[in-house]
Amino acid sequence: MTVGISGYGVYIPRLRIKKEDYAAAWGSFSAAGVSEKSVMGLDEDVLTAATKVAKRALESVPLGPEKVTRFAMASTSAPYVEKLLSGTVMCGAGVPNGTFSSDHTTSTRAGTEALIAGFEHVMANPAGHALVAVADAPRASMWTTVEHGLGAGAAAYVLGSDNLIAELEGYTSYASEHFGERFKTGEDDLIHDLNVKKFFESALMTNTTKAASALLKKLGRKGEEYQHVVVQQPDAKVPGSIGKKIGAVDTSLASSLVSANLGDLGAASTPTALAAALDVAKVGDRILVVSYGSGAGSDAISLKVVGERRPVNTVAAQVAKKDYINYVQYLKLKGAIK
Amino acid sequence: MAHVSIPMYWRTIPQRYKMIGQKCKKCGAVNFPPKGVCKYCNASSEFEEVHLSGKGKVHTFVLIGAGGAPPEFAEQEKAGGSYPVAIVELAEGPKVIGQMSDVNPKEVKMGMPVKTELKKIYTEEGVIRSGFKFVPDQ
Repeated sequence: MTVGISGYGVYIPRLRIKKEDYAAAWGSFSAAGVSEKSVMGLDEDVLTAATKVAKRALESVPLGPEKVTRFAMASTSAPYVEKLLSGTVMCGAGVPNGTFSSDHTTSTRAGTEALIAGFEHVMANPAGHALVAVADAPRASMWTTVEHGLGAGAAAYVLGSDNLIAELEGYTSYASEHFGERFKTGEDDLIHDLNVKKFFESALMTNTTKAASALLKKLGRKGEEYQHVVVQQPDAKVPGSIGKKIGAVDTSLASSLVSANLGDLGAASTPTALAAALDVAKVGDRILVVSYGSGAGSDAISLKVVGERRPVNTVAAQVAKKDYINYVQYLKLKGAIK
Repeated sequence: MAHVSIPMYWRTIPQRYKMIGQKCKKCGAVNFPPKGVCKYCNASSEFEEVHLSGKGKVHTFVLIGAGGAPPEFAEQEKAGGSYPVAIVELAEGPKVIGQMSDVNPKEVKMGMPVKTELKKIYTEEGVIRSGFKFVPDQ
């Protein structure tokens, strides 16, 4: 049974802050390769952003919300620590109350967790349709360097077995025990990071390369055979390092490198970057997605583009549509001034 | 603060999240937000539920600023500056009041096409009150 993606939608908030504003405030900017990043407005959160992309994805097919048989939501920045997230988005998007839903929240891998949950649903229910909405705007203390790169964005996908624009070729996962890097203790809702570069590099490299190489082996393929390689982007340099390890050609990383202009989109990083690749990919192109979440785990997903797309709100168009804010405005929007 | 209790707010979720209005079974006019008695014919309290498109045009608007915001929006005004509030004529007929978002306040014009989108309105009792605001419809 062939399943895949039938539609998608993206939302990039229009507010941006430049790295120069951080440098002026703190003397440095720590997110490698990021020149500016997106910021949510005061009246937005991951639930309003997820609702927006869920509707956009359904309209792109087009598919009525009443046809959705599985809903999955992902974010590491929920406005509530306890309270169902999917209920809000299902209500806003008009998805039937009887649809089974799941919330994926505990690491930046959450976006691909939700996608795989959606794929598994449509593989088991070929007549069904899964709607997967991922939105994130991670928060950390302004005193930490991990905060510098944190941006905001959202992407949603409609998965099924009809009207496919991209077919699922396979997926693999790898999870392992690593710690010290990007965690929340429960005492506050801010990301902590012990900032030991070695922890991060070893956890990131181990999990992403294990997941990706297992998938390549399963499909009997090499990294260089992919026209688009979409990698988790805590900054704009990480995809290059991982790409090299899995044998991707440099040019295959370009179409999805959204972090240079948007920053670290957390759980929405790979879903938004995948949308950027789908915006420009040609029929016949292959796309490899490799996510990463601290703690740590990675998912690898292989897709083949099979249908023409007519994207309405492309990632590139939304990246270009922006209004700059200064650092003081940023602090107000992030609620950092009490 | 203009207190809206949680049960009262909860009852308005279909209209605030999904633009659910009502069509009068007697005169056919669309009421939004929903009413007890049709505000157009004043003669019927029987309605059929309708899902409005959320699209419309700015009929008139005002900028709220200089400390003029009601208490629940005071923080929003302090952090984000003055914000537009519009009366929008919806495609289905009713005129509705709502905040405008995702727009430079100076670029709001009468007649400009808008649509509704789910936004955070304010937070009270630790509960985020979400609902529609109007955004430009390009």
